[in-house]
Amino acid sequence: MNERIMALRDRVRAGDHRCLRQAASIKVLTECEARQLSWPRRVACLVRRQCEAEQVIIEADERIVFTRTLPGVPAIYSPDDWARMTSGRTLHELGPVSNIAADWGLLLTQGLLGRRQVALDTRQRLVEDPKGVEFLDCAIETIDAVLHLADRYAEQARAMGSENLATILERVPARPARSFHEALQSLRLCQAVVWLGGNYHVGLGRFDQYMWPYLQVDLQTGLLTIDTAEELLAEFFISLNKDSDLYPGVQQGDNGQSLTLGGVTPAGELAVNELTLMVLRVSRDLALIDPKINLRLSAQTDLDLLASATELTRIGLGFPQYSNDDVVIPALVEHGYDLDDARDYVVAACWEFIIPGRGMEVVNIGAVSFPAAADQAIRTGLSAGDDFDVLLGRVSENIDQQVHLIADAYSRLLLPPAPYYSVFMRDCLERGSDLSNGLKYNNFGIHGAGAANAADALAAVKHFIFEEGSISPQDLLSALEADYANYEHLRSRLAGEGPKVGNNDDEVDQLMVRLYTDFAGACEGYGRTPHGGILRPGTGSAMYYIWLATGHQGMREPVVGATAEGRRSGEPLSVNLSASLGVPVRGPISVLQSFAKIDYRRVFNGGPITMELSDSVFRNPESIHKTAMLVRIFAQLGCQQLQLNSLNLETLLEAKKHPEEHKDLIVRVWGWSGYFCELAPEYQDQIIARHYFGS
Amino acid sequence: MTSGMVFDIKEFAIHDGPGIRTTVFLKGCPMSCMWCHNPEGQSLEPLVIRSPAGERIAGKVYTAAELASLLNQQVDILRANEGGITFSGGEPLLQADFVAEVIDLLDDVHILFDTCGFGGEKSFRQLVNRSDLIYFDLKLIDNKAHRHFTGCANDLILKNLQVLSEMGKPFVVRVPLVPGVTDTDHNLAAIAQVVCDLPGLMYVDLLPYNKAAGSKYRYAGMEFNPEYDEAQTLNINTGIFKRAGIRVNVV
Repeated sequence: MNERIMALRDRVRAGDHRCLRQAASIKVLTECEARQLSWPRRVACLVRRQCEAEQVIIEADERIVFTRTLPGVPAIYSPDDWARMTSGRTLHELGPVSNIAADWGLLLTQGLLGRRQVALDTRQRLVEDPKGVEFLDCAIETIDAVLHLADRYAEQARAMGSENLATILERVPARPARSFHEALQSLRLCQAVVWLGGNYHVGLGRFDQYMWPYLQVDLQTGLLTIDTAEELLAEFFISLNKDSDLYPGVQQGDNGQSLTLGGVTPAGELAVNELTLMVLRVSRDLALIDPKINLRLSAQTDLDLLASATELTRIGLGFPQYSNDDVVIPALVEHGYDLDDARDYVVAACWEFIIPGRGMEVVNIGAVSFPAAADQAIRTGLSAGDDFDVLLGRVSENIDQQVHLIADAYSRLLLPPAPYYSVFMRDCLERGSDLSNGLKYNNFGIHGAGAANAADALAAVKHFIFEEGSISPQDLLSALEADYANYEHLRSRLAGEGPKVGNNDDEVDQLMVRLYTDFAGACEGYGRTPHGGILRPGTGSAMYYIWLATGHQGMREPVVGATAEGRRSGEPLSVNLSASLGVPVRGPISVLQSFAKIDYRRVFNGGPITMELSDSVFRNPESIHKTAMLVRIFAQLGCQQLQLNSLNLETLLEAKKHPEEHKDLIVRVWGWSGYFCELAPEYQDQIIARHYFGS
Repeated sequence: MTSGMVFDIKEFAIHDGPGIRTTVFLKGCPMSCMWCHNPEGQSLEPLVIRSPAGERIAGKVYTAAELASLLNQQVDILRANEGGITFSGGEPLLQADFVAEVIDLLDDVHILFDTCGFGGEKSFRQLVNRSDLIYFDLKLIDNKAHRHFTGCANDLILKNLQVLSEMGKPFVVRVPLVPGVTDTDHNLAAIAQVVCDLPGLMYVDLLPYNKAAGSKYRYAGMEFNPEYDEAQTLNINTGIFKRAGIRVNVV
């Protein structure tokens, strides 16, 4: 990457542009109330006013523009009105629609004017349908607002003498893109406005698919070379990092600006192209946390591609994350997704599989706490003198109850309208219906957290109490009650001995498999939700590996105290699919073999095997090649998803002591990567406690 | 059924041979090299390791059948990824009967035998016969220096190297570069002279000194007293080998 690009990167990383931000958010509530606007019209008004209030920022050497200056998203209802409207209803997280995938190809191939024309045509057809007309008017209002914002950028570019940029901005996003540069600029502006309207976790979808035709033509005609194309791509990626501190998330960096590479086309052809590799290279050279990269693969994927991906893993950003098409696509098809849609899947903010432009899916409505299910069964079952099978029955019942609790809460889900975001969904403008009314797929996903801890706990009970008889039920119950105070010997036995997930040991792995089978059964048994979809069980933990152990305000999920695998109250669970913290683990192959046993046909919401490799693993081309093979083994074993992180434990400990010297240190947290020093201490400590596989 | 003692089984051992490998570290070594980076593998008895990561015992007894069945769980994966099983240590020759029995019980898979070469010829042949590739360590050619720094004479080692060459199995000679001890031009030239005419030699690996070893001694309750300067710049003189017509890598 040349000096100009690296200077641009460093300026954004240093936050120089943040001084251009306006001091306060705008106010739109008065206008909304004075005009007595409906909810959709308030949202449209909000998007329009945000666009109008944006100040045009073009830096001298910038070729992909838009720098957000508005610090926040203003309220469109008074707190009282909002409370009245939402009373008795469930809001997902912050409220606005998040974590779905747009079909950005609609923007690039039709332009906003093309989308506007679709809206106008439908409006003529639906003239008798006031709801439809209102939605379309709202969508058109937002389109016009973005077009106006683009005009102002074009004027400023012209005034600054940036003729090329001005020409591009006069063309896009209004009309279809004709070049790679136009496509990137169009996407940058239109995606940023989705954020500006209050929607969040706005991803970039199958970037190497919808972008490739533009790059391909430019390379063929000689408009671009590989080098100049890489520069443009780098500028686009840098621009995605400008406003990310304004984006909501549980922790800074948790912003869902993900993109997905590789895999197959809807027709089933291999989808890897030159842009796939270019994204991997540019991301590696920039070493920024956005965009977060996902790579789709199969057991047949070329090792050279995996080696390029490993070069990205090596620099320690915690991505790419790998998803196995061999497993994901059949599971989606089995659950009602059309084959061509399933083949077109992308990874949402963290790991969930969704179909761009075709899903109003809420993929993270909550988490089943396996440790709580196991713990309650152990405490109740041992007190009641159950045999082990009866105790396992209690686990199943508890999981079923947790699933019902979460799903019932979401039967009252209230989704706010999103007329602007709807522009980039298939069939919203065509049918005159906002995305919040539902799209082709309307399923809900539930995480399944702490399975390794729960299985280890159940295995400890089975092994030490029911088989060996070396620990009495009463001793274990007392130790749990006392949070292991004065039971250190017992605790260290429970933690250090007996079968543990991550060692390819069927005795404990089958208990983990059973947890997920119970979970899948509970979801399948629940049937259809009032939103017309099903429940998708998953293997991710999200932040619940901390929250389920410590509690969190407003959380529906049960908190668990000390558990039978020797974990003290408050200590974190393992993240996603990974061995419990501090237990003996044979190594990465055994870890993959353990987690390969899960029935991913039924447990298909996503959630990666998460593995920390010591950075010394990546020393030379030969070890890069071997790490690529490790990724291929993941696919060969039929696992579903993998996060490989390259970390240096000593650097992490150093960074805790001297954060000022490690501002650029990036780590993968649960389904996203962030700056280590910007994380809360409990998240830092959990990463430090993970298993590190050395060279 | 023979039993043996193992102090570690390491998966995804990327520096222990071709492809994806699992390495079995056999406990016990006849030598006690001053720079040994697996000091916990030297004694034939289990050893308590106390490190910041907690306490563990290095040294676990397996029957040959137990160890083979554990390894057989992965053999298909290793074979499909150009790899196999590596037997290292410590020194596998000290438990040759055990190792041989384990190998005989393994499904078809590439076997790498990583040895210091110090052992009886019968044991040595027993393991070489069962292996596809041998990593043979050579440290010092001067016998007096060898005794001083490793605690053993090198006659047996040099003899086994000849035996190995006559057996026709492919092998790699590995030279740990210890500053001022093994990395001198004099020693490297002597090694080059010993190995240059051996027909089965594939190449020489030079292994630069690893400073991290010191803390492992502390964790194992042992003392680390190097008589050389750890900070001294290494003499990584590959030219000596190249001039002798020997392929050489720095690992």
